[in-house]
Amino acid sequence: MTSSPHALSAAGRHRIAVPAWAWALALLGLFGLYLIAQDNGAVLASLGDTAHELFHDARHSLGMPCH
Amino acid sequence: MTEVLDRRTTAQPPRFGQLFGRLLLAGVIAGTLAGVYSLLVTERAIAPALELEEARAAAEGAGQEHAEELFSRTEQLVGGFLGTVLAGVVLAVVFAAVYGMVRHRLPGRNDVARVALLAAVGFGVLALLPALKIPANPPAVGDAATVGTRTAIYGGVLLCGVVGAMLVAALVSWLRSRGTGDAATALMAAVATAVLLAAVMVFVPDNPDTIAADVPAAVVWDFRLASLGQLAVLWAALGLAGGWLVDRLTRPSAALS
Repeated sequence: MTSSPHALSAAGRHRIAVPAWAWALALLGLFGLYLIAQDNGAVLASLGDTAHELFHDARHSLGMPCH
Repeated sequence: MTEVLDRRTTAQPPRFGQLFGRLLLAGVIAGTLAGVYSLLVTERAIAPALELEEARAAAEGAGQEHAEELFSRTEQLVGGFLGTVLAGVVLAVVFAAVYGMVRHRLPGRNDVARVALLAAVGFGVLALLPALKIPANPPAVGDAATVGTRTAIYGGVLLCGVVGAMLVAALVSWLRSRGTGDAATALMAAVATAVLLAAVMVFVPDNPDTIAADVPAAVVWDFRLASLGQLAVLWAALGLAGGWLVDRLTRPSAALS
């Protein structure tokens, strides 16, 4: 069997192994973003309010719903 | 010998850690550019809405004490910028994991094309789709009583978009496995996208808020377009900077060939 350089790329490139920490970090990041963007004191109490007010403009301008 | 080396560099995928670092850097760049755009453009569109809120408050309770603002406007501008950078970073972390998972399935000659394609899909699904179904609103528009409903609609639209993109991708791979031509595949994918988009527009409930009569349409639409522009800057920068950085990692080096 002749191995042409195209055999690998045409049949599909090799899969990249995505480690579990990458998914965990992605979920953590999204949850954190949700907390500082949406949480109106539900989870973080007064700290949530502080984050809410500080990031107020970012939330509006990124298109997330707001009060 | 050189041929073998060269083949190896093209065939071996990058390690995820390397990919992650480069995409994270692209996220910082994208977040910073979008943050600058927000200070130059979006904040200018927010200002008239805030004036409206102040005018309302003044008209309502001339004698009432106003609650002390937690942050000054300057602090909120800084917060808006930092929040946008943070959003860019988080987006890049998620983008890296998804790109690592689907890279071997994405069409494209090199990583510039593939990263840009995934970023374009991301913009369509996570920015353009919600902008069509539940467009962003400036301050002075949202009704505090409906924020839960609106958040649920927004999240539901994002979920529909992600599922829809996966359905279209599955359709494309199925057609390809049957040997369907490129033009026919593209046409079918476009039709499927249009049907799914129409389904979201029709079946997902609309924003329950009505825009108060004292808010001029120009204030609302200037803001919506500025917001969409900001998201376009974010995704375009992530796709282009990320593609360029990842491509430098995977491109077979000139020294070897």
